[in-house]
Amino acid sequence: MDFRFTEEEEAFRKEVRDFIQEVLQEVLPSDWQGVDPGPEEEAREEVYQLAVEIWRKLAAKGWIGLGWPKEYGGQEDLAKDWILKEELIYRGVPGMDMAVVQGDLILQFGTEEQKRRFIPPIAHGEVKYAIGMSEPNVGSELFALQLRAVEEADCFVLNGQKTWTTGFQHADWCVLYARTDPNAPKKSLGISVFLIDPKSPGITMRQITQMTGLAPFYEVFYDNVRVPKENLLGEKNGGRAIAMYAFGIERSYGLVVLHNARRYFEQLVQYCKETYTNGQPLAKDPVIRNRLAEMAIEIEVGRNLGDRLNWMTSQEILTVLPSCQIKVHGANVAQRVASLGMQILGPYGQLDEKSKWAKLGGRMKHTYLSSVALSMAGGTSEISRNIIAGRFGLGLPS
Amino acid sequence: MDLAFSEEQEMLWKSARDFLANKCPKTLVREMEEDEQGYSPELWKEMAELGWLGLPFPEKYEGGGFSFLDLIVLLEEMGRACLPGPFLSTVVLGGLPILEWGREEQKQYFLPKICKGEAILTLALTEPSARYDAASIRTSATPEGDDYLISGTKLFVPDAHIADWIICVTRTAETANPEEGITLFLVDAKSPGISTFVLRTIAGDKQCELTLEKVRVPRGNILGQLGQGWEMVKRIMEWAALAKSAEMVGGDQQVMEMTVNYAKERIQFDRPIGSFQIIQHYLADMSIDVDSARVSLYKAAWMLSEGLPCTNEISVIKGWISEAYRRVAAQAHQIHGAIGFTKDHDLELYFRRAKAGELFFGDADFHREVVAQQLGL
Repeated sequence: MDFRFTEEEEAFRKEVRDFIQEVLQEVLPSDWQGVDPGPEEEAREEVYQLAVEIWRKLAAKGWIGLGWPKEYGGQEDLAKDWILKEELIYRGVPGMDMAVVQGDLILQFGTEEQKRRFIPPIAHGEVKYAIGMSEPNVGSELFALQLRAVEEADCFVLNGQKTWTTGFQHADWCVLYARTDPNAPKKSLGISVFLIDPKSPGITMRQITQMTGLAPFYEVFYDNVRVPKENLLGEKNGGRAIAMYAFGIERSYGLVVLHNARRYFEQLVQYCKETYTNGQPLAKDPVIRNRLAEMAIEIEVGRNLGDRLNWMTSQEILTVLPSCQIKVHGANVAQRVASLGMQILGPYGQLDEKSKWAKLGGRMKHTYLSSVALSMAGGTSEISRNIIAGRFGLGLPS
Repeated sequence: MDLAFSEEQEMLWKSARDFLANKCPKTLVREMEEDEQGYSPELWKEMAELGWLGLPFPEKYEGGGFSFLDLIVLLEEMGRACLPGPFLSTVVLGGLPILEWGREEQKQYFLPKICKGEAILTLALTEPSARYDAASIRTSATPEGDDYLISGTKLFVPDAHIADWIICVTRTAETANPEEGITLFLVDAKSPGISTFVLRTIAGDKQCELTLEKVRVPRGNILGQLGQGWEMVKRIMEWAALAKSAEMVGGDQQVMEMTVNYAKERIQFDRPIGSFQIIQHYLADMSIDVDSARVSLYKAAWMLSEGLPCTNEISVIKGWISEAYRRVAAQAHQIHGAIGFTKDHDLELYFRRAKAGELFFGDADFHREVVAQQLGL
């Protein structure tokens, strides 16, 4: 047994940290508190601009798609890919993009021609992707989706509605799940996946504002939208396998969430060391010490689960169980860090980020509100628990 | 990174699982709870023959030369089987301190005896304050000629009633800093002035009240340096907490497996209760507790074996498993329903041991305080 990273991996981690240091000095404002990874906070225009700039710097380094095959610009190195993500997320540096994950799908299910067409622009940091899965009546039960795709001579014609489409306003491509066979014997067998240009005629969208005040999601309406046949990903009616693969990737999202929560937690620890009440730092209060330590332990065992997940992935061992475990645990941790932070900040916690009285840049309030979504995003904690219990996990009967 | 067992570890856990399944049935576990000695001397001898008692000691002392991580693999199986007896006391509380701080002649005297199953050892640390802090050490050792006279009361001393030798934590000097002036002695358990009384405890393990009245111990029986004992105690406590965590992870895993199997077999409303989503979700959460604990255990044990600083990692696992095992065992009871809390069912053995394990060498609050210090709070 050996929990060490290899020398090469450690060297890469250092390179990433140096890169982040450079970015912190050159690109990010001096009072940078960090932002959550992914498109959510890119709904703030200033964060979006930073994300684009950093995304291009990552591309210049050749760091986009590190896990991809070499012929498509990758290094076939999943460990490095994760080290890069972990460091960026932990430091709250924007620039991580869903495009990489969608690139994974294209590499797995695309034709040679699609790979050559879609992968290089992702690797070069030139394009952004959105995902069209959920619909107004389709949340956890993805395979009940209704958005219709009808095959015509030269194209598919789309009609219907998606919702919770993330980052659609900035996307160059959207990976869209649609129903191509309404009469399939099982709901899951009539679904196909398409690469859609969001600027296609017939597409309209409406922002959904969340309780954080941000609007990263869109309702998207498809009215006779024509998609060229060459934009079908995988087999017609073969979307189930693609969706399952995508879910598998999304569940390690729990680890992304956990490392993001680490930053908030460490800021909170720092706050407790520096903030005095009754002549002594909060850090000396036995209740606060106990609760912070409890949180530190939950984070640490989650990181250990993450080491196990990453190692299993590297060994090509089935990771359905650990990734679902981390999905549940990561969301729990993030919500508990936020809740603890709000309690410790007391009345200051409620202040808006722009208030001159705000503590920790008002970020604790943000994460308190935004972390509510983390036990839903990428599959609810309930669905994850179902999967843990099921045939790839504990083998309980259905 | 490589999180798989080595071939040797694989063999060790397999043989331990088979051996304990055969030789340590739950009938023995229950019998030993009521037994005055609390262990089976025949089984102890067989464990010595298997090399278990000498596992972490160098070959020149007739040990196996295995690492702490290997020892953890074995302890996990012992926890799974609820193995009764003085293994942890003898090997971890007694043998490892001698290996670490003993003079060569002390090592040559004690370690082969431990490896061969000829000496049972333990550590007498806690006193009636029942706390693991230096100020609580009131048992005194006073010099007299070439000897010391030890007097005081130790409480919750595991296996003292059957021990041949007891490492006794004493106060040899009163100083402003309670962590100074503490000295460890190797005390012959048959010395005049020693009396032991076995306490009746929740897990039916054998913890004792140990009374020492002017017990004469030669100066040569000091372990380590005079007055420097507390640093040693801190290290021993880390080993002990980690070793107990391994037993607890093993028990936790067994409870999980028993409960999954029960949920698959128990029929109510014409279907296995494991098909109900609420039961599935209880079990899913239990699996997170169990699997996160195991990998955290291995990480701490690996670090210790590699000689890396791991105070934080040890307190992370002991703090976590202390609560996780209790949660898992309690949820397992809920899933088992009434049958689980009967004396006829194995589950109650684990529920009681989860609590005892939690209390052994620092509960979750104790270890959270260590983690808080490590955070620089």
